[in-house]
Amino acid sequence: MMDKDKLRKTDIYSGAAICVFGLWIVLQAIKMPMKDSWGGVQNVWYVSPAIFPLFVGCMIMLLGALLCRTALRTVGFKAFRETVRWLLSKTLWQFLNSIPVLRFYTIVVLFLSFVFLMIPRIDFFLCAFLFLTVFITSFYFDDAMLLRKLFFFYLAGIMVLILYFACGVNDPLSQIVPFPADILTTCFLVSYSVYAWILIRGNPLLRKKYRTAMIVAFASPLVVGMIFKYFLLVPMPSEGLVVAVTDYLWYFEF
Amino acid sequence: MVLFERIEFYFQTVFQIASDPLHIAILFGSVLLGIIFGAMPGLTSTLGVALLTTMTYGMDTATAMLCLLAIYVGGTYGGSYASILINIPGTAASAATALDGYPLALKGEGGKAIGLTTTSSAIGTIISMLFLVCISPMISFFALQFTSFEFFLLAFFGILISGTLTSPDLVIKGWISGFLGLFLACVGRDMLQFYPRFTFGIPELDSGVEVVPVLIGAFGIPQIIQVLKDRFQIGEAQKFQRILPEFGTIVKNIPKIVRSALIGVGIGAVPGIGEDIAAWVSYGAAKNASKHPERFGTGEYTAVLSTEVANNACVGGAMIPLLNLGIPGSPPAAMLLGALMLHGVTPGPMINFEHPNFIIEVAAILLLASLTMWVVGMLLAKQVVKVLRIPTQIFMPIIGVLCIIGSYALGMNIYNLYLMLPVGIISYFLIEMGFPIAPLVIGVILGPMADENLRRALMVSQGSFLPVFTRPVALVLFLIIVWTVLSQFKLFKDYKNRLVAKIFPRGSAKAELLPKQSEEK
Repeated sequence: MMDKDKLRKTDIYSGAAICVFGLWIVLQAIKMPMKDSWGGVQNVWYVSPAIFPLFVGCMIMLLGALLCRTALRTVGFKAFRETVRWLLSKTLWQFLNSIPVLRFYTIVVLFLSFVFLMIPRIDFFLCAFLFLTVFITSFYFDDAMLLRKLFFFYLAGIMVLILYFACGVNDPLSQIVPFPADILTTCFLVSYSVYAWILIRGNPLLRKKYRTAMIVAFASPLVVGMIFKYFLLVPMPSEGLVVAVTDYLWYFEF
Repeated sequence: MVLFERIEFYFQTVFQIASDPLHIAILFGSVLLGIIFGAMPGLTSTLGVALLTTMTYGMDTATAMLCLLAIYVGGTYGGSYASILINIPGTAASAATALDGYPLALKGEGGKAIGLTTTSSAIGTIISMLFLVCISPMISFFALQFTSFEFFLLAFFGILISGTLTSPDLVIKGWISGFLGLFLACVGRDMLQFYPRFTFGIPELDSGVEVVPVLIGAFGIPQIIQVLKDRFQIGEAQKFQRILPEFGTIVKNIPKIVRSALIGVGIGAVPGIGEDIAAWVSYGAAKNASKHPERFGTGEYTAVLSTEVANNACVGGAMIPLLNLGIPGSPPAAMLLGALMLHGVTPGPMINFEHPNFIIEVAAILLLASLTMWVVGMLLAKQVVKVLRIPTQIFMPIIGVLCIIGSYALGMNIYNLYLMLPVGIISYFLIEMGFPIAPLVIGVILGPMADENLRRALMVSQGSFLPVFTRPVALVLFLIIVWTVLSQFKLFKDYKNRLVAKIFPRGSAKAELLPKQSEEK
């Protein structure tokens, strides 16, 4: 959490945003049937589906306005102007380029790409292996320069994957080669691992960390995936190359 | 006669669970997992319960409850390891334990402190279990007299009080968080007219927001971001000698144990208030009642004992409103509510009719979980402490994968992930801006109850709010809500102080003098 002074400054904006959000809820709720006929039944206001969202929206709007007012009374309009000036200055760019913010971007980009791009399209084991390899190596090395280089390498790989799926290459290609997206992901994983190794090979401590990271990144999805797929009988979100192999081994009749 | 039958059934359940090797294995495994989750700074018992819930989907209700209650009890206790040995609370509930636990570890008495926390945590859970068994029939009977107005006001009160007491900054932020949770609960088709609200034509939103993925997102993702962004490092753990149960210290402090257990049960029973508040209140009460308050903070056994009894007593306390009213008493209890719903058990006043022996079963599980926790704590503490050596940069990404696969596994719906992740990222920003997350979660859970009961009540009264003022319980709840809201405003506080000064002129004069005297000292 931020310190009190910063909190009050951000409260001005968060309060205003919450107030607008409350207003949006109210506007949406007004569109719901209040006294009109819905499904052949004549409505009365007190059974309307709008009544609860209206109450919630009004309360959010009121509390948001109250938060904004409290913040303005505490820090004053001067602080508001200072914040606007800061938002327009070079300091904002420096802040966005700072290491803690880069760490934040890395985590968010990793999660977003894992959930929205990879899980629905790529074999769960492969994408979890890639996710953990990038996640652990980026943070476990504990070096800002390495984090930046590894993050941008990952970002480039993600761009390639986005282009690959957006261009619709996957479907025609899968008629010729089995599991083309999984093969592409494996190539990405191998190239990332090699790139990370090249970056840290001169440092014995980082080499040890690299080995640990790779073992954990490989073993964890295997164990977790096995438990969910074969013991809890949960089919993986996307089953591809690796699941085909493990299925073959698991259901193999000796 | 009924009482004897219930006692007989209680012991039957205890022996039934204890005689099944599979149940014993599950109990030990879940308690151990809970202790690990509690001990690892950055992981919480709520997250532990949330992740394990996803694995209990295929189990029967009794076995699932065994898993979840065991991890809850273990997680609440496990936080004390990191507090005592590295001065970093494993969970918020054990933050108060660190104040005196760590100085004890520095003196070379870490083993003694862990022994004491183990025994006192087990006693706290057992006392709260007794309260659960004794108070539940009364609350359940009382709750059967409630109508829709009372249930609406109760749900609303739960969200308000949770927002008031858990907010780290302004109280308004706690309330906003609660109302944001209520908004999330509005998403989907409404239960009375099946009208789609805030679904934007997306069919997956028609059934509403799934509680468990929201909970996993709200508690798991912000934790991962915070720990890794702020480069959180676990320090070197203090060495400690043999762990003994410390029965001598326990016997000497029986009145303090009873007081702390009462505080824990009482605070646990208040909707949405967690073990952390119980521990701090109990610490404060122990300090005020002590003959040597100056020793607190320097390694006082009474302090460690009071906090640990209180935070574990919260477990049983939180189950009282959860099982009898359907209102979770703490964040992990909110997760348990989600798990119960998954297994087709709807907690509330009807639970004694729909599942007549359920509360007794829960009490039996709590007893066994606390005994298992004691055994594990006594025998495996040295081994469990080794997990503190695992770097956060390694286990946090694994927790991330577990959050994702766990959210997906509930209903095998990929849309749960699309919900869980944005909720997690938004929760992170809310936490950073001083908004508490517990009221948001309580809002999501109690939203449908509040919505349905408000409209049902208005239908019965033909749109009149008059029953709020004519029904005694509804009126009391309404007045408490009004008091809770007004008491946060300066204008009201000033007016109240002036009124008190007029009615009790001597008392207020004394009260005015006290701070001056303390300043002079």
